[in-house]
Amino acid sequence: PERSARISKVRPPLHQYVRKLLFSDLDKDSIANVLKQLRKLPWSECEQYILKCFMKVHKGKYGQIHLIASLTSGLSRHHDEFVVAVVDEVLEEIRVGLELNEYGAQQKRLAHMRFLGELYNYEHVDSSVIFETLYLTLLYGHDTSEQEVLDPPEDFFRVRMVIILLETCGHYFDRGSSKKRLDQFLIHFQRYILSKGHLPLDIEFDLQDLFANLRPNMTRYSTIDEVNAAILQLEEREHASSGDKVSIERHSDTKPSNKSSSDVISSN
Amino acid sequence: MKEPLQKKKVVVRHLPPSLSQSDLLSQIDPRFADRYNWVSFRPGKSSYKNQKYSRAYVSFKAPEDVYEFAAFFNGHVFVNEKGAQFKAIVEYAPSQRVPKPSDKKDPR
Repeated sequence: PERSARISKVRPPLHQYVRKLLFSDLDKDSIANVLKQLRKLPWSECEQYILKCFMKVHKGKYGQIHLIASLTSGLSRHHDEFVVAVVDEVLEEIRVGLELNEYGAQQKRLAHMRFLGELYNYEHVDSSVIFETLYLTLLYGHDTSEQEVLDPPEDFFRVRMVIILLETCGHYFDRGSSKKRLDQFLIHFQRYILSKGHLPLDIEFDLQDLFANLRPNMTRYSTIDEVNAAILQLEEREHASSGDKVSIERHSDTKPSNKSSSDVISSN
Repeated sequence: MKEPLQKKKVVVRHLPPSLSQSDLLSQIDPRFADRYNWVSFRPGKSSYKNQKYSRAYVSFKAPEDVYEFAAFFNGHVFVNEKGAQFKAIVEYAPSQRVPKPSDKKDPR
């Protein structure tokens, strides 16, 4: 059969150089040098391309994602606009991943969760962004007609996404309000897991590790009724403690709400 | 946690892939030109294989302006050159961070 010859992509030298720096040179010993070289580049010309390459964290080694986060951090002093773009882009990728739920994108989606967690560790996103992402992951598309497509019962991918993010940065949520928010989230996470039915063993083991690392004393509920009761209790306690604040602050709604509706902005 | 009242940065999603920054701004500016202080346009892509929507981040000077902007652009239908319709979504940007205005040049 006739077939046209495969045309290989020819990249401009500048792009080739960026790729060489990020995809072959970068390791923990060379990172200071790679950062220096990146800073020397003509930014007005190649900022968009560098951003594009930073988003390809899934192409490199999983263990190297923190190096890309570290580079992001190193660039923040003189290229703050770039760092903001990196954060916005990762969050968008995570969102689009949930919207499309493509099987072929799984590796990329996990890498982006890891990247987001590392960006938190380098203090480029705050904890509320992490918690919003966690709840978005549990809730996106639920209670809509698309739930069957976006998160069918036998699909455990979102559990993996949550595990990756919490493995990366969950250990920082160990005091104050972020500790409380993680406690609350983990109960909602448990409800989500129980709603899924029987977990594959590998995921169950990862979950056991996660709970052992983050909250060794937390109860693992075994039925939906138990976990629902725990959530009810949580909400009542929340209500009681915020009761006196409500009269002062109107926007005290701390209940995690379904993302697909809550983010639509309205004035009342 | 940031209260919604203080949030100023929004993202406009699901814009036509072929939309340009100037096309978008020509729709925003008549009403909002002096009310935002930062905008970042992320062009989409449309190729044979896949299409990626365009997107824009806008940071307003006053949090209240977000409501008017959302009322105007959320659900707003953009039509591309081929007549296809794109219904924009306006949401608070998940990360509220905007670049620091001080633009020190990198001495390198």
